[in-house]
Amino acid sequence: MSLDPITVEVVRHKLDGIANEMQSTLLRSSFSPIVKEGLDASAGLFTAEGVTLSQACAIPIHLATLIPMVRKVIETFPVAEMRAGDTFLLNDPYEGGTHLPDIALIQPILVEGRLIAFSAALTHHQDMGGMIAGSVPTNSTEIYQEGLRLPPLRYREDGRVNETLVRILRSNVRIPDTVMGDVNAQMAACSVGARRLAALAGRYGAEHLTAIFADLLDRSEIMTRQALARIPEGTYRAVDWLDNDGVDLDRPIRLEVAVTLRDRAIHLDFTGTSPQVRGPLNCVPSGTLAAACFAIRALTDSSIPTNGGCFRPISLHIPEGTILNPREPAAVNARTATIKRVAGMILAAFAEVMPERVPAASAGEMVMLTFGGQRGDGSQFVTGDQIAGGSGAARGSDGVDVIETDATNGMNLPAEAMEMETPIRLNRVTLRPGSGGAGTWRGGLGTIREYEVLGEDVAVSYRGERHFSAARGVAGGADGAMARGTILRADGSTEVIRSKIVTRMRRGDRILVETAGGAGYGPPAERDAAAGEADRRNGKTTV
Amino acid sequence: MKEADIGMDGDRGAVLDCEIGIDIGGTFTDIVCRGADGRIRLMKVPSTRGNPSRAVLAALERARTDWNLPPQAVRRLAHGTTVATNAVLERKGARIGLITTEGFRDVLEIGRQKRAEMYDLVLRPQTPVFLAPGAFRKEVRERLDAEGHVVTPLDEDSVRRAADELVAQGAEAIAVCLLFSFRNPAHERRVAELIAERQPGLPVSLSCEVDPAFREYERSCVTAFDSYVKPVVANYLADMEQGLASAGVPAPMQVMQSRGGLMSSAIARQRPVRLFLSGPAAGVVGGLEIGRMAGLRDLITVDIGGTSCDIALIAEGEPLIRAEGYIDGYTVRVPMVDVTAIGSGGGSLAWLDGAGTLRVGPESAGSEPGPACYGRGGERPTVTDASVALGYIDPQRFAGGTIGLRPELAVEAIRRHAAEPLGLSVEQAALGIHRVVNAQMAEAIRLVSIGRGIDPRGFALLPLGGGGPMHATALAEELGVTTIIVPPHPGVLAAAGALGAPVEHEVSLSVPMPLDEAALATLRPALDELEARSGALMAQEGVAPEAVETRHFLDLCYTGQSYHLEVPFDPAAPDAIARAYRDFLAVHDRVYGHSTENPARVVNLRVVKRAAAGVAAGGASWASSEEGPRRRAIWVRHSDTPVEAEIWPRAALRPGLRVSGPAIVEQQDTTTLVEPGWSLRVGPEGVLLIEKESAA
Repeated sequence: MSLDPITVEVVRHKLDGIANEMQSTLLRSSFSPIVKEGLDASAGLFTAEGVTLSQACAIPIHLATLIPMVRKVIETFPVAEMRAGDTFLLNDPYEGGTHLPDIALIQPILVEGRLIAFSAALTHHQDMGGMIAGSVPTNSTEIYQEGLRLPPLRYREDGRVNETLVRILRSNVRIPDTVMGDVNAQMAACSVGARRLAALAGRYGAEHLTAIFADLLDRSEIMTRQALARIPEGTYRAVDWLDNDGVDLDRPIRLEVAVTLRDRAIHLDFTGTSPQVRGPLNCVPSGTLAAACFAIRALTDSSIPTNGGCFRPISLHIPEGTILNPREPAAVNARTATIKRVAGMILAAFAEVMPERVPAASAGEMVMLTFGGQRGDGSQFVTGDQIAGGSGAARGSDGVDVIETDATNGMNLPAEAMEMETPIRLNRVTLRPGSGGAGTWRGGLGTIREYEVLGEDVAVSYRGERHFSAARGVAGGADGAMARGTILRADGSTEVIRSKIVTRMRRGDRILVETAGGAGYGPPAERDAAAGEADRRNGKTTV
Repeated sequence: MKEADIGMDGDRGAVLDCEIGIDIGGTFTDIVCRGADGRIRLMKVPSTRGNPSRAVLAALERARTDWNLPPQAVRRLAHGTTVATNAVLERKGARIGLITTEGFRDVLEIGRQKRAEMYDLVLRPQTPVFLAPGAFRKEVRERLDAEGHVVTPLDEDSVRRAADELVAQGAEAIAVCLLFSFRNPAHERRVAELIAERQPGLPVSLSCEVDPAFREYERSCVTAFDSYVKPVVANYLADMEQGLASAGVPAPMQVMQSRGGLMSSAIARQRPVRLFLSGPAAGVVGGLEIGRMAGLRDLITVDIGGTSCDIALIAEGEPLIRAEGYIDGYTVRVPMVDVTAIGSGGGSLAWLDGAGTLRVGPESAGSEPGPACYGRGGERPTVTDASVALGYIDPQRFAGGTIGLRPELAVEAIRRHAAEPLGLSVEQAALGIHRVVNAQMAEAIRLVSIGRGIDPRGFALLPLGGGGPMHATALAEELGVTTIIVPPHPGVLAAAGALGAPVEHEVSLSVPMPLDEAALATLRPALDELEARSGALMAQEGVAPEAVETRHFLDLCYTGQSYHLEVPFDPAAPDAIARAYRDFLAVHDRVYGHSTENPARVVNLRVVKRAAAGVAAGGASWASSEEGPRRRAIWVRHSDTPVEAEIWPRAALRPGLRVSGPAIVEQQDTTTLVEPGWSLRVGPEGVLLIEKESAA
């Protein structure tokens, strides 16, 4: 069938609009702060074969993560048996999922009895059971400790929700009302997608519409390959490190990638990457796919409509048994740190060949700091802060101080918000002078935050990175400063945090967080004199 | 473009008494004048960027000759201005210093660490560091706790030192943002006193006055912006007042606020940050007035200009307000009319991507070179070129004939860059450009509505700007909207809105506490303080107390939630708290799709006082021309061949007339396209109503 190129473009806008409307519905009707404020949720439309048609996501870590989940549903349930009132659900990382808090709801969209697409919504739930509240323990060593595993299941059949499944779910999580509220929001998002897509099929005809889907994917693939063709062919390598897995503190974790560009395709080989670890930094392959998709999206032309066609030129080789392709039942909940480092590393591999596009390494660090305990009135509190470092300098511009980079994009907590809710006081929120890697263009600075415990007994968990490996400078630029974490006890003693710790703090104890700086670009000696003087005047450098 | 007396009749009798609304935009300054007899006169003159008052004075001079309007007849002068916004966009604000609590010097620079563009690799600072780079930020020794109790007393020497150093470095104004000043302003007030002792006359902005609410980055940011624009706004107002005085205009000057109300220039000097985006706010207020005349309370306004499309919602007769907005991408926590801008407009360029798909925008031809048909060197086709090729725009009558268009250039641009590569006719390609841009705008409007819990189908569409009425029926069809109202003069609605807006002042206090029966008594001191402050502001406006309407609002959230919702609050009602809670549940359900009877907390208490200043200039008197319609072939998406459309001059549309699409209405400031399936009639006060035929 010959397609009218204008109708194709009109339909594309509608597909993007539907994904945005699904996402808006999802964010709007969810209950938990992690969705409302962390935007840790995503929605989109997929073809009947499980290829992304359009997806709205507020943080890149969600890019592509729904793909293996939709595929697993197609594998598990015969398409011929899918009905319009069905919805599937899963979270198991070993069955297409990412980590247990991320539950996907996936709804088949049928027109005149024929499956034409899926609508899907992914939400990071506030709790999924397991050894600690929030279900992201830094010291888990197997997935069984991390919460309830849900393989692909039929959550709704012919419009009726599976009450058995709901009861199992409710009795395994700490906050069943919140979790079910968020599941219902996901359901609402899927229904919006299904309703609007069915209306679209009514207007254009199901067959015509699915032909347009195929055409849209081809168009994005063509443009992605055109963009890849502009990058010189060859194999480019990068190595980077994670500090440790939170359990074996003395063992740094090596990550390695060889990116081969040939014939308008990109192959990523992760041979050389460390074997899987005991702690929860393992990451199932969909995480690496998300990092790769982020990198491709960032490196190619930003005007290319994002859909599964963009991902067709990508192939991955991830040796089994490594931290990026762990064997069951490895713990996986803290994979965010791993995905961030993989995304940064893939970009770093291109630094040499695309010097005008790729900056020097960013800190790529997001400290996850949580406090839990009792307020003065006996009520319980749990609060968290996420703290960024500096971004890498680029050819032509300095890095940005204290900014989220690569696969995540979360906000820090205002001191005033923290102090109004908890017996924790912030004594200091400043830039970390001198932490940006020197260079013709200077790396962005990290930050210093000092928290003081005003209560009696507070459980503290700190998950850092870049304590033992610096963001690498490029073209003669210096590395960024490494991160530091210190516990300053009220009795005057100090403890240096080795990147990760779970501990308790008492009244007057303080924790000093110093995040890493981004790396510099080009020889420091060639830095513009006025820029260097401004740095000194504004307190960005110490010399 | 020359000034134009749009739609005025030929009367030349002297105007004895009039009110004037002005919108000073980037390109044009629009003037709307309403005489005591109710007659409306309009004028458009080029803006004078360096000194905006020159355009206003030039317009008044012309009004004296053309309208026989002596300056002393101007009894009121209300205007929307971009002066504060431009000071930021052009980085022309004051050199300021920022004083912070010890340990928190860098809050303004660190911000919330989130980046706006997820896929950009080379990042830009996301915070307005330019307001006060490190050397211009000083710490003073002091600390309050979350209850506002003093942890560390204010070290006054550290304040004197900071002020002296900042002034020695060249600071022209100082912003002060200390932690928890919204709970206890004593330290900030003392800092202001100390600065006044050391540096008399130096403008100071205190965060406890500019924005007394929690979250130190957002509060620092808006306070620093206040300080940054304060001297610029003061100079601008002084220039304007001086100019008006020397021209013999006796009227006090009123300025439009971001929130959609007017304030006097004297108060604008004290609260300059509230002038951001006052132009778009005036446009929405103008739309509100038009809706009121047509008896419609639920409206979507869509202002389509050359480079952007501004979308806003009016629900139940009130514009939606948001608690914070953005200037140049930076958070500014000032209540603003909730306007969402997307990058689609008449100047949006059509292009083919690498896969041969027809795309429209986000790149725009802007005003230079502009669309190809302007003949100023633009070679690539725009949405406006498509409108010319489709026969919607009469090249001889565009903008009242002030810009002669060259249709052959539009056709050539479309042929070369779209039609030939796509294997289509020029008209098919032009229809394609319209279909694509309409799909983009319709999805954006839907998202804005849905995101605020509003189903667009129950709303009427109010198209504004030069481009709005051209796209209205296509957008309405996509959105399931069945009623469209075209204002008499969509191109000067902001000026009309300034004329019709009420005088309004909003003050708020942070009052964190549980919402329960005990709350009412606890809120009393805050209520009294807000009453005193807002009352004083209205008194400064010279408004008689009995003319003032007072409304109270609470920002409420569920315990543990950190986002809040505004609900009305009537402290005089016996069940005030219960009512506020019920309303909270209802609003929560509308906006977030659910609500539960969990305990709620108070975040802020707000008082809004307003007094009517005038009525909007909507009901322009159109000269009743006896002219009938002409006919012209145009292309519409419903047909593969051109269709014969009636072309009506706006002045010839008489009450009672009904015209079925396809039809076009031409007037100086816009072109209205009525597609097949829609019909048009003249509504009250000169508005045009376009209705879906099956629903009409």
